[in-house]
Amino acid sequence: MDSKELKRLNELKLQSGLSYDRALAKRNALEKAHSRMIVVYNEHIFRADAHTINLVSTLRDNHDTFFVLDTNQNPVEIKDATKFLEILIDRNQEALSAYHQLAKSLEKRDD
Amino acid sequence: MQKGVLLYCFDTSETKYHAILIRCVQLIKSNLQLPITVVTDKETHKHLGSLDSVDYKFIEPEKGNTKNGKQWHNADRHMSYDLSPYETTLVMDIDYFPFTDNLRRFMDTQYDFLVAKDAYDLSGRNSFNLRRYSMIDMVWATVLVFRKTEKAKKIFEMVKYVKAHYPYFNEIYRIYSKNFRNDYAFSIALEQINGFMGYATLPIQLPTLPPDCKVLSISDQGLAWQGDGKIMHTVGQDVHVLNKELADV
Repeated sequence: MDSKELKRLNELKLQSGLSYDRALAKRNALEKAHSRMIVVYNEHIFRADAHTINLVSTLRDNHDTFFVLDTNQNPVEIKDATKFLEILIDRNQEALSAYHQLAKSLEKRDD
Repeated sequence: MQKGVLLYCFDTSETKYHAILIRCVQLIKSNLQLPITVVTDKETHKHLGSLDSVDYKFIEPEKGNTKNGKQWHNADRHMSYDLSPYETTLVMDIDYFPFTDNLRRFMDTQYDFLVAKDAYDLSGRNSFNLRRYSMIDMVWATVLVFRKTEKAKKIFEMVKYVKAHYPYFNEIYRIYSKNFRNDYAFSIALEQINGFMGYATLPIQLPTLPPDCKVLSISDQGLAWQGDGKIMHTVGQDVHVLNKELADV
């Protein structure tokens, strides 16, 4: 192996390490976002993710009150769907906004 | 009092746990904003004089446990129901640093007892997925939330029973740990008291740094660590630090 090839291999190794570090930082930030998406409403725990938001939004279109399951699979009656949906969306977007900021900063470092 | 945090802290000849407690208390005050009670002994308390607005309960810690060859007084958590002055209690390891208010929301549920089943390895090695050899799911007793109800009282009574017969239960459930581990005692007790039909959990993975990750610096917002020859950091995320050299940072 000549010095030129050795240098090239070192560059590739460095790039691999940097890619790993950025991927790990991004993964940790996503986990942070998932933790942040947990909300407590009506003494029950919910995940403010796309599934819950879509479910509540769909049920609200046709029902004044309805039932959903909390994270421990217990049924909860939702009497004020608009308020609940607002809480879910606020928390979801707060978490994803922070994740977006970090993802952007990592992309810049790739440039 | 309605809601509060219960912490356990006992210095050993090798580790200044009080230094870790002081950092943890600062973060609880700024981020969780809940009253704090520290269960400690007189010797450790001598080093905690500067902590404002913290209540103390004095006990003589049970000794005998070791971790990585060092003393580790952590066998008293089963007394939390009796020691807590709060209606709803958050019990935390003092090396769990709440850089967010995330745990606070769990104080407002109808659940008698909540505990996390999973830990998230911030070093990226998934090193906490090795606990599946046992016949039952494991919990992380690092963070517990309970209310003063009959059900919670019975859970703690069961933990005491399991603790009294720990080697026997370990053998039954294929848990091979020489030390007494709160994680295992609570896991067994929760299965027993709930008739092996499952129990309510916290829907979070506890962000955790493995013991070989050395914390380099801590701020009000987060911390930096070194592991695998790399320096990484996290901000705005709770962190459970397993490396006890943390006391010297």
